[in-house]
Amino acid sequence: MSKSTIRYSGRTRARAIKTFLGQFLGYGGAQLGLLCLVFFLVTAAMPNILVGPLQTAINATGDFLAPPSGQHLLGTDEVGRDVLNLVVHGARISLTIALLATVISLVVGTTVGMTAGYFGRWVDVWLMRLTDFFFVMPSFVLALVITPVVLEVMGRGREILGFRPSLFVILVVIGMTSWAFVARVVRSQTLSLKERTFVDRARVAGSSNFSIMVRHILPNLVPQIAANGALVVAGAIYVETSLSFLGLGDPLQPSWGTLLSLAQRAGAASAGAWWYLGAPGVCVLTVSLSFVLIGNALDDTFNPRRRVIP
Amino acid sequence: MLDAADILRLESLQVHFPIQGGLFDRVLGRPAGAVRAVDRIDLNVGRGEIVALVGESGSGKTTVGRLITKLAQPTGGKLLFEGRDMTFVQDLSALRPYRHRVQMIFQDAYQALNPRHTVFDIVAEPLRSLRLVDNRTQLTDRVSEALASAGLNPPDDFFSRFPHELSGGQRQRVVIAGALAVKPELIVADEPVSMLDVSIRAQILQVLVDLRDKHNVALLFITHDLPLAWLIADRIAVLYLGKLVEIGSADEITFNPRHPYTVALRNATPQIGANAGRAELPALQGEVPSAARVPNGCRFHPRCPLAFDRCRQEEPPPIEVGPQHMSACWLAK
Repeated sequence: MSKSTIRYSGRTRARAIKTFLGQFLGYGGAQLGLLCLVFFLVTAAMPNILVGPLQTAINATGDFLAPPSGQHLLGTDEVGRDVLNLVVHGARISLTIALLATVISLVVGTTVGMTAGYFGRWVDVWLMRLTDFFFVMPSFVLALVITPVVLEVMGRGREILGFRPSLFVILVVIGMTSWAFVARVVRSQTLSLKERTFVDRARVAGSSNFSIMVRHILPNLVPQIAANGALVVAGAIYVETSLSFLGLGDPLQPSWGTLLSLAQRAGAASAGAWWYLGAPGVCVLTVSLSFVLIGNALDDTFNPRRRVIP
Repeated sequence: MLDAADILRLESLQVHFPIQGGLFDRVLGRPAGAVRAVDRIDLNVGRGEIVALVGESGSGKTTVGRLITKLAQPTGGKLLFEGRDMTFVQDLSALRPYRHRVQMIFQDAYQALNPRHTVFDIVAEPLRSLRLVDNRTQLTDRVSEALASAGLNPPDDFFSRFPHELSGGQRQRVVIAGALAVKPELIVADEPVSMLDVSIRAQILQVLVDLRDKHNVALLFITHDLPLAWLIADRIAVLYLGKLVEIGSADEITFNPRHPYTVALRNATPQIGANAGRAELPALQGEVPSAARVPNGCRFHPRCPLAFDRCRQEEPPPIEVGPQHMSACWLAK
């Protein structure tokens, strides 16, 4: 009997995953979002195989600001570099920064929000004042203040976790300035969840506060976290783009924002070089949209009350 | 059944929530009051005894249940479990042995089950949290056993189901199974059948009565339904505005009530067929007053058709009106 029940539970899990995937992929938005995202992730994973090493002003091959042609599918920039090459290499930097910043933001935001909401009283008051502090902190100013400090401490040429210092700062700054939003959403949801009867039942069952938070509250927060996670990724890409656009990026590891910044400084808009501004711009838009579509589909799938009951 | 082997004893247990006055009140020196949600309750439950706690909405009966299951903290009095003082125990490690022996069945089975947990995980949760099992085999056996005693057969069929896949009666059975899994000695059942169809009520009540008959589990049955209380309970305690107004054997309370409030409750119950005993008193008027403004004297006097001067000034103590039958009314003698 015991053997059969253990096998039974394993089968249940496999079935649950299968059901989840089936439902998730049933949404058209999820398919489109996943397709775009997989495309960009593959691109970001092997830029050297796809378009060769990153071109610089020294090894640039094309004319200045040449429109798209057979040789340069997305045209060239003002020093003759292939825009396709730059955009593909930029995908890796932009996506990595956005995803890592989102992980920081979600982990910190969920922990702070859930702790504040669950324990209430003075814990809530102090954690929320801290959240308010980070909520109003402008990411630009924070990045401007932190960058020189990190550069001074780490040295300009060093790399932190494979990132050059200025990119690492952008990563941390985005994480630090976006978790407050997540914390507020998670806290408000926790406030309502902790009053639910199943939390009382868990307490009568002898569960600890930690266990109640992890096993009862967190799973019910997943839709909020997933939906907000998608927004945070979209926001992180946007903030990364703006910070780089303002010149806080690193020219040796160019992201899409850095490319937009270069294009703007080269006068691409007035010169009619739509490919130079358009290529990174469309990439930012597509990736942000993919994350939002996936987030919405996740929300719909995770909510058991919206599941079709067979 | 009032004997020395009481499993649970409440001694003038009370919950008073202080009312924070506004700034204006504090400046003017107005006294801050208190919500007297539960006001000095004395109650005992014997081993294997079924005691029903009856009262209207707002009488504090659910709060009493939450006090006993340690979901709410009393502000005074004593809560003794097998003679041990559990009144102010809050620490989880000290509370776990108590949780092992006192369980609760919740009113709303829709709310009491985490929508993201399977039936197996729901029933297994107390066994895991209280560390009552050593391995997966034991856990599976205990969960099967609990589901079967709650009337879910065959238990294996329900393991991987989610609450939204179950009917209302099945959900309530899962809640009961969760309480049974740890083999408690006292179960607080907070209106366990009020959300269920009449046709399912009898089955759920039978599960509860079987518990007592087979495993000698004591039951505190919280309900607003006096006939239901009579049907299931050995003794009935009537609660009004946070205070026990009458307590006695089920038959005494139902057929020989000595407190006007109990009489009114009984008369408010619709009955099938002709009944000569009806309309001794007119139906109750008005609502239960706010627990923040408990009337002076007898707290029932504003709604009592028999109230006289003494009722408005002095609060009646519990008066013994029969064998183990107490009534807090000046007219009870």
